[in-house]
Amino acid sequence: MNSLLQDVRYALRQLRKSPAFTLTVILTLALGIGANAAVFTLFDQVLLRMLPVERPKELVRFQWTGSFSGSGSSFGGDITNYFSYPMYKDLRDQNQVFAGILAADRASVGVSWHTQAEEKDAEIVSGNYFQLLGLRPALGRLITPQDDTAKNANPVVVLSYSYWKARFASSPDVAGQTVLINGHPFTILGVAPENFQSAIGGYRPGVFIPVSMVEMAMPWVVQRDDLNNHQSVWLTLVARLKPGVSYQRAEASLAPLWHSLRANELTLYKNHSERFAKGFLDTSKLQVLDDSTGFTPERGDLKTPLIILMSMAGLLVAMCAINVATLLLLRAAGRSREMSMRYALGARRWRIVAQLLVEGGVLGAAGCAAGLAVAPAVAGMLVRLMTSADPGKEHYSAAIDMRVLLFTLGISLLTTLLFSIAPALHFMFPDLAQALRQNAGTAPKGSQRFRKLAVGAQIALSVLLLGSAGMFVRSLDNLRNQPLGFETANLTTFSLDPTNSGYGDDRTAQIVTSVVERVRAIPGVTIAAATTDPELAGDDNGSNFTVQGHIASEDEKMDFEVPWVTAGYFSTLHQPLLAGRELTEADTAGSPKVAVVNAALAKRFFGTPQNALGHLLAEGGGSNVKFDTTIVGVVGDIKHEDLKTDIGPAVYRPYLQEKHPTGVQIYARTAEAPDTIESAIRQAVHQLDPTLVVDGLRTMQAEIDISASDNRALAFLAIGFSVLAMILAGVGLYGVLAYSTEQRTREIGVRLALGAGRWSVVTLVMREMALIAAIATAVALPSVVAVARLFQSELYGVSTFDPVVLAGAFLFTAVMVLFAAVLPARRAASIEPMQALRTE
Amino acid sequence: MIELKNVERSYKAGHTETWVLRRVGLTIGEGEFVTVMGPSGAGKSSLLNVLALLDDGWLGEYWFGETPAHKLNRKQRADLARQRIGMVFQSYHLLDDLTVAENIDLPLSYKNLPAKERQGMVADILDRFQIVAKKDLFPSQLSGGQQQLVGIARAVVHAPTLLLADEPTGNLHSTQAREIMELFCQLNKTGTTIVQVTHSEENASYGKRIVELRDGWVTRDEAVNSRD
Repeated sequence: MNSLLQDVRYALRQLRKSPAFTLTVILTLALGIGANAAVFTLFDQVLLRMLPVERPKELVRFQWTGSFSGSGSSFGGDITNYFSYPMYKDLRDQNQVFAGILAADRASVGVSWHTQAEEKDAEIVSGNYFQLLGLRPALGRLITPQDDTAKNANPVVVLSYSYWKARFASSPDVAGQTVLINGHPFTILGVAPENFQSAIGGYRPGVFIPVSMVEMAMPWVVQRDDLNNHQSVWLTLVARLKPGVSYQRAEASLAPLWHSLRANELTLYKNHSERFAKGFLDTSKLQVLDDSTGFTPERGDLKTPLIILMSMAGLLVAMCAINVATLLLLRAAGRSREMSMRYALGARRWRIVAQLLVEGGVLGAAGCAAGLAVAPAVAGMLVRLMTSADPGKEHYSAAIDMRVLLFTLGISLLTTLLFSIAPALHFMFPDLAQALRQNAGTAPKGSQRFRKLAVGAQIALSVLLLGSAGMFVRSLDNLRNQPLGFETANLTTFSLDPTNSGYGDDRTAQIVTSVVERVRAIPGVTIAAATTDPELAGDDNGSNFTVQGHIASEDEKMDFEVPWVTAGYFSTLHQPLLAGRELTEADTAGSPKVAVVNAALAKRFFGTPQNALGHLLAEGGGSNVKFDTTIVGVVGDIKHEDLKTDIGPAVYRPYLQEKHPTGVQIYARTAEAPDTIESAIRQAVHQLDPTLVVDGLRTMQAEIDISASDNRALAFLAIGFSVLAMILAGVGLYGVLAYSTEQRTREIGVRLALGAGRWSVVTLVMREMALIAAIATAVALPSVVAVARLFQSELYGVSTFDPVVLAGAFLFTAVMVLFAAVLPARRAASIEPMQALRTE
Repeated sequence: MIELKNVERSYKAGHTETWVLRRVGLTIGEGEFVTVMGPSGAGKSSLLNVLALLDDGWLGEYWFGETPAHKLNRKQRADLARQRIGMVFQSYHLLDDLTVAENIDLPLSYKNLPAKERQGMVADILDRFQIVAKKDLFPSQLSGGQQQLVGIARAVVHAPTLLLADEPTGNLHSTQAREIMELFCQLNKTGTTIVQVTHSEENASYGKRIVELRDGWVTRDEAVNSRD
C-alpha cells in the first residue's frame, strides 16, 4: 500500500514536471473517452436500457404476420406491430400465459391549465397499464381498470413527473384539480413515478389518458369507432409473462387463440378472396418478442446510425490510446537512464511495471474525469442531431447516469491498460550497460517499430473515418440537392390542429380556411395552402381505391396516398400541373367530388396525364363501390414521406369535401426569406382564436434538415470524428517524426558532411513517413469500401466505391502527413553537421 | 592549394565569448601531408571544420586554390566541399543501416553521377582497399580498423584533392592505427593533400609538416622528416 502511494506521489510529481505533456495526454484521452461516453448515453437509451418498471425481463410485445385490410394508424414501425382494441381485449381476457396485457398509443393533445393552452404529447393507456408495469404514484394515484370502463365515462388524467414539475411547478395539491384536454375537463388523478417515462421506449408523454377516453383525446377517430372496430389497428400491446413461461411456450399457447380470433374477424370482411383468407388465417402467426427495453419505432431508424457512431467512437478511443502510448514511449526514451538506474539499484521488474502502470492510471483517471465533464454537452448535441428535437423537447436524456458512468470507467480502464502496456514493455528488459553509458537514451529497435506501426495504424484509422465521413457527406449532399418535385425555397410551414382546441367536424374546415386566408394576407406571403398529409414529415397516409375501367389483379396494390388539400396547394408548392386544372375554392362540400392525381397514377392506369382527365375513381374496393370522384387534373410526382421515397400513386382531393376534417399542415410561399414572417403567422392565428396552437413553425429547408436528420447527424459527427482522428494522427506522426529526426541527428550530420543537399535530407525524413502513410492508406482504402458496403442502408446515391470520396480521403491524408512532417523535416534540413558530429 | 589569412572563430555563451581560433594564417601546398596537433581545447577540430567548409561562423580569408571560399555562400561552399574535400572521422560515422558498399557509395550519390559510373567507382575502391569480400556486410559486422578503412574508402571514393582526418586512429589499437597511417601515406603519394588532427606523435611522424595550436593560436609550424 505504501509503495502504491509512493508510486502515485511520484507519478503526480512526474506529470507536474512536464505540464504540456500531461495536458496533451489528458486532452487526448478526454476526447476519446468523452466521445464514447456521449455516444453511449444515447446508444444505451435507444438500444440497451430496460424500462424502469418491475421485472422488465418478463415483458413481451407482439407482432403479427398475414394479410390485413382496414385502417392502420401507426406512430412508427410496421403496421404489424399494432392491434385493434377488440383484439386487445380478446387477447387480454382469453390467454393462459400472461399475468396481464396492456395497450398503449401515442397522441398529441391540447392541454389548457390556467387558461394557457399548449400541445403536449400524451399516452393513451389501458386501465391496467400502471398496475401491470408495477408502478407506484409519485403523488395521488394512477389510472386503474376502474378508470377505464365505458366510453367517455372517465375523464381522468395522470401527469408525468417531468410535466408536473415543469408545467405545474411540482404543486403538491394538483391531484383532484381539473385540466382541459382538447377543451374537455379532465380530473388529474396523480403523478407518475419520477424515473418512469413510458412503456413506449424513448417516448416522454406529459399526460396519460385512459383508452376509453380516446375519442376526446383523438377526435378524428370517432368516425372509425376505434373502440369497437376490428378493422382498425392502432394499439401497441405489452404483456407480462407468467412466472416460468418461456417465449416459445407463450407463442405456442397463443397460436390456437390467435387463429380462432382471426377466424372470427375474417367473417367481418365481405367479398374477400380465397387468397386473402389464406393469408389472413392460415399463414398468419402471432409472434412474441422481447419488450424489456420497450417498443421503440425510432429504434429501427437510429439503430444503424448509432452502431456506426459507436464504432467510430470506438475507433477514436483506440486512436487516442495508441497516440498516448506513442507519446509515453517517446517520453520513455528520455527515461532510460532513470529506469536503468532503478534496475541497477535493485528494483524488481514488477515494481518498475507497477510504477509505470500507476503513472498510466493517474493519466487515465484524469482523462476519464475530463471526458465525463465534456460528455453531457456532446451527448446533448448528439440527442438533438439524431432525433431532430427542438431544445427542451428531446425524447432522450443527455445526462450521465450510473450506467454511462460504469461504461466510461470501463472504457477508461481498458484505454489506460492499452496505453500503459507500451512503456511497461519498453522497460521490462533493458540493456543496463548500454543505457547507463549513453548520455541520452536511445530507443531500442522494438520501440521504434512500435511507433511506426502505431503511426501507421493511426493513419489507417483516420483514412477509414475520413472515407466514411466522405460517404455520409456525399449522401447528405445528394439527399439535400435532389429534385423533390416541388420548390423548397421561400416556403414556410407549420401544423395546426383545431380539434385539439375543441373544434368539431362542423367548424374545423371553416377555421382552417380562415387561417389559410389570414396567412395569405400577411405582407410578403404570395400564396398559402394546407394539406392533411404533410410533405417530408415521415407520414404515409394511404387508402384503397378502385379505378373505373381497371380490373385489379388479386395481388395488385391499390392503396394510394390520399392527401386532402386546400385550393391553390400545387401553386403554393410549385408542384407542376401537367394536365387539367388544380383544386380551387369552387371545390366545396356541395360541389361534385373531384380529385387531382399525380403522374405516377396517371401513367399507371391511363398512359399519359392527358388521358387521365375525366376518368372516375372510387374509394374502397369490391364490386359495390361508387365511382363518384372525377379526375380534373394531373400534377407531377414528388418526394413525400421522406427525401428518399417517391410518393407513388396519389389522389389529392379538396379539403372542403372531407367529411371529418382533421388538423392540417399549412404552407406559405413568400417573396423574401421566409423566416421573417414567422411572428406574423403566430399573430394572425392568435387573432383568429387564441386557443389555436401553431406548432412546428419552420422553413421548408429546416423541414428537409429534419427529414435528413439521421444522415445529417451521421455526416456531421463523422466529420467531427474524422477531424479529431486526423488531428490525433497528425500529432502522433509529428511526435514520431520529431523523435526519429532527433535520433538521426548524427546520421543526417554525416550525410551533410559527405555532401548531401538540404533537400535530400528533407526527402530522407519525408520518405519514411510517406512510405508508412502509403502502406496505411493502401490498407485503409479497401476498408472504407468494405465499411460502406456494411452500412449501405445509410447511404443515398453514393457508390461504395466512390472515387471522389476515396480520392478525397487520400488527399486529406497526404496533406495531414505533409503538415505533420514539415517541421521535423525543416529541423532536419537545418542540422549543422559540425554540431551533429560533435554530439557523439 | 589552401591559404588561410587571419581566420578567427569564437563561440558565444551568454555574455562571454570564447575564442577557439585566433588570427590563424596557414598555407598548405598541393600534395602536402600536414598534421595538426595540440592539447584538448586548442582549436584543432575547429580548424578542421573550417577547412572542411562545415563551419560558417568564422572570420578572415580562406582561399581554396583560386577560389575565395570566404566569399561563397553556404550552397556554393557545400558544392565546393562535395567536389574537392573528403572527411575521415575518429568514430568512423558509418551509417548502421547501410552496407559497406552503400556507405562508400553515399558521397557519390550526392553528386548526381550515373548509377553505372558510381558502381564502377565503388568497385574500384573496394578493390583498392581490399575489402571486396566485405562489401555486403553492415558496419556492426566489422572490426574498428575495418570500419575506419571503409570510412577512408568513403572519403576518397570521389577522388578529393583534400583529405581531412580528425583523429583517424583515435579508436583503434596500434596495429590497426599503423595500417591506416600507411594507407594515408599511400594516398598522399598519389597526390592527395592530407590534413590530419591527432594527439599521437607516432601518427604525426607519417606527415611532412606539423602545425601546433594552443588556445587558438598557431604556436608552431615546421616541416618534419617523414618516416617515408
